[in-house]
Amino acid sequence: MSSNSPDKPQLIKNGKRLSGRSFTDLRPLKITAGVLKQADGSAMIEWGKNRIIAAVYGPHEVFPKFLTNNKKALVSARYVMAPFSSLEDHGRSGPNRRSIEISKVAKHVFENAILTSRFPKTIIDIHMDVVQSDGGTRIAAITAASVALADAGIPMKDLVAGVAVGKVDGELVVDLDKTEDNYGESDAAVVISPRTGDILLFQMEGLLTPEEVKRTVRLAKDAAVQVREVQVAALKKRYEQVASELGEQIA
Amino acid sequence: MEKKLILPGDEVADTPKRMDGCFIDGGKTYAAVVSMGQDEKVVPLKGKYLPIAGDYVVGVVSEERFSGFNVEINSPYEGQLSARDVRDPLRVDDVVFVKIAFVDEVNGATLADPRRLTGGEMLEIEPTKVPRVIGRNMSMVTMIRDHSATDIFVGKNGRIYLKGNNTSLAVEAILKICRESHTSGLTDRIKQFLENGGNSQ
Repeated sequence: MSSNSPDKPQLIKNGKRLSGRSFTDLRPLKITAGVLKQADGSAMIEWGKNRIIAAVYGPHEVFPKFLTNNKKALVSARYVMAPFSSLEDHGRSGPNRRSIEISKVAKHVFENAILTSRFPKTIIDIHMDVVQSDGGTRIAAITAASVALADAGIPMKDLVAGVAVGKVDGELVVDLDKTEDNYGESDAAVVISPRTGDILLFQMEGLLTPEEVKRTVRLAKDAAVQVREVQVAALKKRYEQVASELGEQIA
Repeated sequence: MEKKLILPGDEVADTPKRMDGCFIDGGKTYAAVVSMGQDEKVVPLKGKYLPIAGDYVVGVVSEERFSGFNVEINSPYEGQLSARDVRDPLRVDDVVFVKIAFVDEVNGATLADPRRLTGGEMLEIEPTKVPRVIGRNMSMVTMIRDHSATDIFVGKNGRIYLKGNNTSLAVEAILKICRESHTSGLTDRIKQFLENGGNSQ
């Protein structure tokens, strides 16, 4: 499947996308923090048709011990798609070439977001399991894992937020779904630290002009602010529940 | 001032300040963990226990070595107890109330003054909620102890050891404190709870 495929549907009609969204609209996004009891921190993200569960364990002792870093905590990230997560065949469960790559880039995102020097000689495990997929799972998984890390009480510089920006029928659009991802001309997964505007991940496929790349980053930064609002709402809901039951006011 | 929920990346102060659960960037102070803020004070709501010299913790002996014992202290880091500091012999799985004598640069804890605890039960809570369970000048823990006639050893690492005939009331009160730790007027509510023998009304 590509932008030249004969099966390609018309992705933009009358200035609207197939899903009826405008170019900058996000799909419906909901995050629930603290969904798993055994994990130190967890979150579930429902982003369009994507359903991803993120869990964080640690910091804990490193095994095997020779990997230990005396100056900082190690970060291990594991992204996997469930065999039943999409209509395409994902084979048996467990990591494959694609998920090993995504796990690696997610690890680098969180190494730059977590204050690893606070926990020398330890490791922080982040698990991201895609239960149902519909395009843009890597950024959705990183967004959920960021909430799970905050829920685990792991010190971070910011809640990182991800969004995909791509070129569809010649137009730059935000938050691509599966059809746009498959038949679009280009697609870039961007993870931003909304506090500083730093780019923690930029993975692009297809072709964009230098000017389009600049616009992509601008669109991603604006969208990341919206995503962060949902992350904040999820964490507030988790920690305000008790207070509201007792009629206390927390701003 | 009103209490406010603070999340990682939120600005706490526009000057650099050393605070629990915060970091300094570009001359300003930002929160690093989910915290509750009031005025200029920031109290982290979640987090693992990091050993601090002078703290008393409840630990479990995890390994016996020639020179002493390794003690698991509900933290990413283990405590080391020298055989010289142990009067009565300890065994693996023994529960000890122990002082953290020294912490090295990679958070390794040297322990001292162990006291073996037997005949009671152990409760684990969030380490960040321990100050609430203890209360100002130990007011909260004294109140629970008096009302439930239970011996309570509160470790800063989030482990509480209870010994007595009516530990269930003490356990319920402690769990209630943990659930409602970030709300105000808690001491009065817990007092009422204990006086009613475990009923909120």
